[in-house]
Amino acid sequence: MRIFTTVLLATLVVAPRVGAKDPEGIYKTAEAKHFTRVEGVELSPAFTDYLYAELRNELTKIKFFVQVIGEGEAVEDADAANSVVIEGVITEYKKGNRAADAIIGFGAGARSLKLDVNLTRRSDHQNLGAIKIHVRVSPKWKEEVMAKAAAHDIAHEVKKGLKDKAKG
Amino acid sequence: MNSRRILQVGGWLAGLSALACVSATADEPKPTPENTIHVQLAAPVPPQKFAKPPKFFISDVIDRSGNPQPMLVLRDRGGVFLDRQPTQITREAIEQSLKAADLLAADAPTADLVLQIYVFHFGLAQGSGLDFFGKVEFSVMVKNLKTEESQQIQAAGTSIANAALRKKNIQKNVQANIEGALEDAVRNLVRGTQLREAVASLLKDKPSTPAAVPSGDMAFVHGEGDSNRRSESRSEKR
Repeated sequence: MRIFTTVLLATLVVAPRVGAKDPEGIYKTAEAKHFTRVEGVELSPAFTDYLYAELRNELTKIKFFVQVIGEGEAVEDADAANSVVIEGVITEYKKGNRAADAIIGFGAGARSLKLDVNLTRRSDHQNLGAIKIHVRVSPKWKEEVMAKAAAHDIAHEVKKGLKDKAKG
Repeated sequence: MNSRRILQVGGWLAGLSALACVSATADEPKPTPENTIHVQLAAPVPPQKFAKPPKFFISDVIDRSGNPQPMLVLRDRGGVFLDRQPTQITREAIEQSLKAADLLAADAPTADLVLQIYVFHFGLAQGSGLDFFGKVEFSVMVKNLKTEESQQIQAAGTSIANAALRKKNIQKNVQANIEGALEDAVRNLVRGTQLREAVASLLKDKPSTPAAVPSGDMAFVHGEGDSNRRSESRSEKR
């Protein structure tokens, strides 16, 4: 009876984890490209570099792709069909208002960044989904913190989108 | 009376500025064996495969970062220094990877293509403050000495590592971060489609791209036609 209880408990602990495991290895590679920006978006040139680096970092962290490659790197022919390219455009940036943030708070005067992200299959450039990201942070924080938050959101939305697509 | 007061104030100001100079000099970090790190590739990066592998030779590696202290990678907490010049580290990393794949020529006359490397950034860049942001960026002038034709390509590598509080951990993280960025940049160069295109165009009589890619070989999928943008001279931009 004691052994049966132990086995039952172990099964209850292990089974959900096994079932909930991400379908790793479906996509072999992910290539993140430097995001472009529409006219009027006033962000420092270093911002795009940092966003690119953070996005690659976050894509590695979600463990959904076997390899996250750099922009312009070659991919093996056999892997091209299971590879995605992530491109995006920064569509809007509002630098916020520190006074409003300090006096009113509750999100008033926050910095805001909007991005449109497109996922395409590498082999045939088929569209795998489009994601819209909107990040709001306090204007007291640096631009790079906003990039970090945006990269985190993009990586998780990419994972969610591709998982949904895989399920059909 | 007035001139005496002016002299007095001037004396005070001179004294204060001298004090500031002394304290600034004292804060300037100095390289010691304790705060110096050795950056190198953990393992050579395997380059892409060419049907007829060309031989490369690295002629010059030139620092174009404009950094007056290229070996100082972190100023805070007593500083973190590199043990060699970034140009030397970059040269060694690329040569190591090319040599491992037998793509390195012994000298320029025996090489099919000569590489001239311009290092634009090597070390840490401005990050969020919550982590270390390592960035290595260089452009490469690929030149065919026989035809005198050349093409410029770019490579960049980034790495993000956690910040640390203890000085020992800071050094460890900075080292790992720069090594990661260097490996990424070398991979971006030797496995990049830009290099493949440059080799193909500069060695027209000696085709290097496979007509049909055998299984296991690299397939070169073109990007969004951004090669023109990337081949712009970086120095022109600046």
